[in-house]
Amino acid sequence: MTEQVGYFETDTPLKIYGLSEKSVTIGFGTAIDHHLLALITDFNQLLLQNPFSGLITTVPAYTTLTVFFDPLSVMLSGLPGQVCFEKVSAHLNKIAQTKREKSSKIPDKLIIPVCYGGDFGQDLSTVARTNKLSETEVIDIHTAGQYTVFMIGFVPGFAYMGGMDTRLSTPRKEVPNAKIPTGSVGIAGTQTGIYPMETPGGWQIIGKTPLKIFDVNRLQPSLLKGGDIVTFKAIGIKEFNAYAEI
Amino acid sequence: MSMKISIIKPGLLSTIQDMGRYRFLSQAVPVSGAMDELAHRLANKAVGNDDNNATIEFTYADASFKAETPVLISYSGDGASLVYNNELMPAEKPLFFPAGSVIKLIHNAIGVRTYLAIAGGWDVPDVMESKSTYLTAAFGGFKGRALQKADVLVSGTLLSEVSDGILNHLIERSLTYPNWRISRESLLPENRQSIRVVLANEISWFDATSIISFLTNSYSIDRRSNRMGYHLSGKPLVKKVKKELLSTAVTAGVIQVTGSGDLIILMADCQTTGGYPRIAHVAAVDLPLCAQLKPGDTIHFSEISRDEAEALYLEREHDLSLITMAIGLKYIKT
Repeated sequence: MTEQVGYFETDTPLKIYGLSEKSVTIGFGTAIDHHLLALITDFNQLLLQNPFSGLITTVPAYTTLTVFFDPLSVMLSGLPGQVCFEKVSAHLNKIAQTKREKSSKIPDKLIIPVCYGGDFGQDLSTVARTNKLSETEVIDIHTAGQYTVFMIGFVPGFAYMGGMDTRLSTPRKEVPNAKIPTGSVGIAGTQTGIYPMETPGGWQIIGKTPLKIFDVNRLQPSLLKGGDIVTFKAIGIKEFNAYAEI
Repeated sequence: MSMKISIIKPGLLSTIQDMGRYRFLSQAVPVSGAMDELAHRLANKAVGNDDNNATIEFTYADASFKAETPVLISYSGDGASLVYNNELMPAEKPLFFPAGSVIKLIHNAIGVRTYLAIAGGWDVPDVMESKSTYLTAAFGGFKGRALQKADVLVSGTLLSEVSDGILNHLIERSLTYPNWRISRESLLPENRQSIRVVLANEISWFDATSIISFLTNSYSIDRRSNRMGYHLSGKPLVKKVKKELLSTAVTAGVIQVTGSGDLIILMADCQTTGGYPRIAHVAAVDLPLCAQLKPGDTIHFSEISRDEAEALYLEREHDLSLITMAIGLKYIKT
């Protein structure tokens, strides 16, 4: 809570580049970190609360926020500038000059049950061997950690989570699996993530969650969003099946 | 009263698409939608629909369907031509067929994708505010999948005033169509091998020779090309910096450069974020040309400025609004 004043109270223009005729990207920094995540989350919220005419949607990522818009509506808006890029930039810079409010939003915290090892986590032994740990130690370390969702990307609902204990770091597979089952929990380098649907993938799979990580019938189809705090809880196969029946 | 067709032969890949799904990008849901948005919109306009009504996107030909009721349809695109009773049907024009008509798609060597619109739009449920099919996650469109033999598709029952007007003019016991048609050719550049691009944010990551090479050499469309994107084969580009890009939002038209220096043009079903540096993006007005490229086709890139690309986009939209107005004037009684 120390950086609650500032960041976007500055008159320095934002670093904005065009991505297409219908989108621009704001660059906020160059490295993955928690302060940048908070800054992008707050800026995004402020923009969505104070949209310009023609704003369609925004996409936060590690160090950027991309803004999609309808050029025809932007041209008809009263924003200053000759072209869409100038008009949208003018609005974004106005947002940047707003005094940043005390971040009142507490991140959502989620506990995700995972059945580790066995058929659900065929690479648990690889992760253990790579890091000279027992399989139980891998599970203990993975469930003891607290993870931050930095962004959603790759496939619908896939959360890139940081904050994993480096004792579990394991490189991606050299040859990706053709099919990783829905709900699989994996490790790649120092990141951990959950596959929301069956896709090819190169992450080391250590377990599986019975939760629906992506569900088109939910109001928010993706269970996770940028800024969320996640912890994992180990469950047995019986509990997994009980969940799966719900 | 809804109109109805049944699929006799589905063809290589036929899916329901509209103008895409934008509001869920932050949850990594791709835009999807028609690859050739121009052809999709013209097919809709020709039957008096809204541009965002759902059409069927056919890939190449070798498909056929039967009108189970009288239907008012139109088609546009470069993957196939419609044939009825051995007669070639005109594109970008409303076509009225009586019940029982069997309509075939035959080979059209120019391109890949053809759009079939029906008055009222194809009626499938909205998933996340769009009717577009996204096959990777099996949602949207017709049951989240490509069309199959014996599928029955119906139109929305709510016709626009223009669709109603067209239908009243054409309704008959046999095939009818008016003498007007939309001229798609007048909207497209003559040289379809030349793709206009705007240089991208990471352009300074590449050495000067690579940038010149990108703007002068030809590239051909690789076999690894689909609705997600096209791999290009040609001279690999060289990065002059060791930097890596942290995953950030991308969109259709963005040209990524892979670790080995190869180019990928992202298309409608592309991921919402990507971590490869970008050398350029295809001007929005030339994306429909890209949508019709097939493996083996060659293209080259020519640079335009961001402002030129925007001006071209606004001009295209203006032309399209004039087409809508002209059709409306013919059929709306004032």
